[in-house]
Amino acid sequence: MWIDLAITMVKIIFILTITVGFFAPVLTWVERKQSAIMQDRIGANRADIMGFTALGLFHIMADGLKMFTKEDFIPEGANRALHTLSPIIALIPAILTFAVVPFGGVYELWGTQVNLVISDLNVGLLFVFAIASLATYGYVVAGWSSNNNWSLLGSMRTASQMISYEVTMGLTIIGVLMVYGSMRLTDIGAAQETGFWGFILQPFGFLMFFAASIAENKRIPFDAPEAESELVAGYFTEYSGLKFGMFFMAEFIEMVTIGAILTILFFGAWHLPFLTTADLLSMFDFLGDSFANLIVMFIHVGVFFGKVTFFIFVQMVIRWTLPRFRYDQIMKLGWKMLLPLSLLNVVGTGLVILALN
Amino acid sequence: MAYYVNRNVKLTWWERTYIPEIVRGMMITSRHFFKNMFGFVPFFLGKKKEREIFTVYYPEETMQFPIAYRGRPVLALGENNLPNCVACGLCEIACPAYCIDIIPGENSGKQNEVERYPVEFTIDYAVCIFCGFCEEACPEEAIYMSDQFDITMLDRKKMKYNMEQLLVPVSELKDRMEFCRNMYGKWNY
Repeated sequence: MWIDLAITMVKIIFILTITVGFFAPVLTWVERKQSAIMQDRIGANRADIMGFTALGLFHIMADGLKMFTKEDFIPEGANRALHTLSPIIALIPAILTFAVVPFGGVYELWGTQVNLVISDLNVGLLFVFAIASLATYGYVVAGWSSNNNWSLLGSMRTASQMISYEVTMGLTIIGVLMVYGSMRLTDIGAAQETGFWGFILQPFGFLMFFAASIAENKRIPFDAPEAESELVAGYFTEYSGLKFGMFFMAEFIEMVTIGAILTILFFGAWHLPFLTTADLLSMFDFLGDSFANLIVMFIHVGVFFGKVTFFIFVQMVIRWTLPRFRYDQIMKLGWKMLLPLSLLNVVGTGLVILALN
Repeated sequence: MAYYVNRNVKLTWWERTYIPEIVRGMMITSRHFFKNMFGFVPFFLGKKKEREIFTVYYPEETMQFPIAYRGRPVLALGENNLPNCVACGLCEIACPAYCIDIIPGENSGKQNEVERYPVEFTIDYAVCIFCGFCEEACPEEAIYMSDQFDITMLDRKKMKYNMEQLLVPVSELKDRMEFCRNMYGKWNY
């Protein structure tokens, strides 16, 4: 029992380290640097320690220091309790989603079964959606409590956008469920070891899910809730210091979440193409059973986070390529195009499965 | 160079499906990304010319400005080590921001000597708008716009430059002088 607890603790610490400790800060740097390179600029490179800039990586530390030392401002007439609470409501679900995200398979290490997922829920996918939509409360409360017209408009847009695109997301997922026949994310991941990957079986589902998930994360081209040119900064206009930093982190962690979910559902989870776990194990057979398992585990985790990084790159390219949709265009795209298409996708998948059986 | 944007473009069905056009746009940005990634991000490998970008690391690198660029106005120091200026006050009058302040002095009137000279010539760069009217008004080729623009101080009083700070040898202003002769000579005052 103690060993299980220890393994779970290690997994939790690993996930926290890699999302909050690695991805969220580094992505702030990556976003600036990648956008600069795409636009033929140079990008952040000024923060230095003893004249050594490390390609601008010290900007992460500089930003962190700045956020820590900045005045935490609460505007007059704001609801102080909710104003303080809302960044927490926004950030916690973003991290919490990783509780059910598997970042590797099951491995036999020195007589102990190690399943690389913190909580192997049988309704994992539903859990992800439930928690992801909880984050919207944070944004809505943030806009409402800061006593500012821009913030309120931004939070209203967040709410409407979430409602519109959550429907599409849920319906596209039904196609995946029909193909793999399980809600458990580990099962979906394991099914892609030998079978086809999700984006071959569900190409339209993949595209629609990607679009809807970017809309959920409120990034360009769906960033109407924060729209710099219209609403100053949207729902977090009145936030400063670490509270703003928490909203900022929530956005980047959600990017990682989207990458992880896309990888699990559509891009073969932790598997390499054409290489099953048994193949990999036989490759490292000379090291003994446990060591071979260990090495395969590291390979799988690396592959998984490599795929996640690729999807983060794609999201960044989209963010720096496309212009923002108008508010009515977002609604039109959500209700008139993506919703009927996702329904058609469900019907089509069902018909194909029926014909094949 | 009137350029009209046709805002009523009829999109084809292929374009209206979004996806191909989005992919096309992403191809363009990704192409720039990868080209620059191997071209200039390891910036220590390549000089500025090789990395084909428009931005410069400003304080370390500076741009070569075109000759028509109007930086801060400077006074020309002639070959005889005296300023070309004769303190006529035309630049002072032409200045729309009233940033030039001249105190003239009179010579004894000997042969081979200019009659008037500036005892003190002050330009307040905190007020100057870099318009170049002084250069245009000057009949003696004495004041020129240089290519320096980075005059920033913490003290506003130090922005007032006196004559010693303003004087620049005429040999450094050859190109600008040539340009001004072509430019303002045509107008034939």
